[in-house]
Amino acid sequence: MAESRDSGQSKDDSFARDAIPWMDDVYRFALSLTRDSNDAQDIVQETYLRAYRSWHTFEPGSDCRRWLFTICRNAFLRSRQHSRHEVEAIDGDAEALASAREHSEMIVDGTDRILASVDLGPALDRAMADLDEPFRSVVQLVDVEDQSYEAAADILGVPIGTVRSRLFRARRQMQQKLRAHAKDAGLATVEADRKSHV
Amino acid sequence: MSDEPRAIDCRTAVQQLWDYLDDELNDARMVEVRHHLLTCKSCLPHAEFGRLFIQALSRARERHVMPPAVRSQVMAALAEAGYSSESPG
Repeated sequence: MAESRDSGQSKDDSFARDAIPWMDDVYRFALSLTRDSNDAQDIVQETYLRAYRSWHTFEPGSDCRRWLFTICRNAFLRSRQHSRHEVEAIDGDAEALASAREHSEMIVDGTDRILASVDLGPALDRAMADLDEPFRSVVQLVDVEDQSYEAAADILGVPIGTVRSRLFRARRQMQQKLRAHAKDAGLATVEADRKSHV
Repeated sequence: MSDEPRAIDCRTAVQQLWDYLDDELNDARMVEVRHHLLTCKSCLPHAEFGRLFIQALSRARERHVMPPAVRSQVMAALAEAGYSSESPG
């Protein structure tokens, strides 16, 4: 009996040490998937309950945050009863080139200055929220949670090339949103507009 | 004889720019892109913009923190499942 209690306490101690500290990160990921704070709360709760119940399967010393993100993603898919996404035909290299073209146009019209804006956060949040899944979750994992392409691919259950192409497309789409926001905020310059027509 | 990295053109550099900024290229490719950016006035602004863009996105971590009430609810659900956050003794 005492042994079992000790092992339970040991489980709780390791769970407290390795899993609990990532709750903010899991919440952010869940929020990016669901775009709804109530749904995100449900997903986080399910993630942690599943993680706790299957804690014996977690390999000590491995990346617990990555493990939790995977559980979170699966919990989200179950909640939406999603079928597997089809692998879309997006060319990562073409997206990277398009991104640079978009930036060139931003330089021309002066909207590239938006990155120096102190209140860029809300505009970026909107641009990210406007992304469709599966693009949003890739940005969340790679750009916000600093996961590698390989880790994101593992968490999302897709090839690395798919992570890359989705990420680059998502960044380009956000660039376009930021550019529109910058224009609305009056950042586009008249002189720049003239130059763009030369 | 020369230790100069293989020269790449602007198109190749830009195609690999996001991978470079994400530190996802192998060592040789990282050196090639870095070398190109050091010597190309056209591509460097794209790299600087990309770097700032990614930095701005990463700051979402600071903006989005889980509300304390949500944390309390999750912890309560875990407690119901048998989890105890209190250390013995």
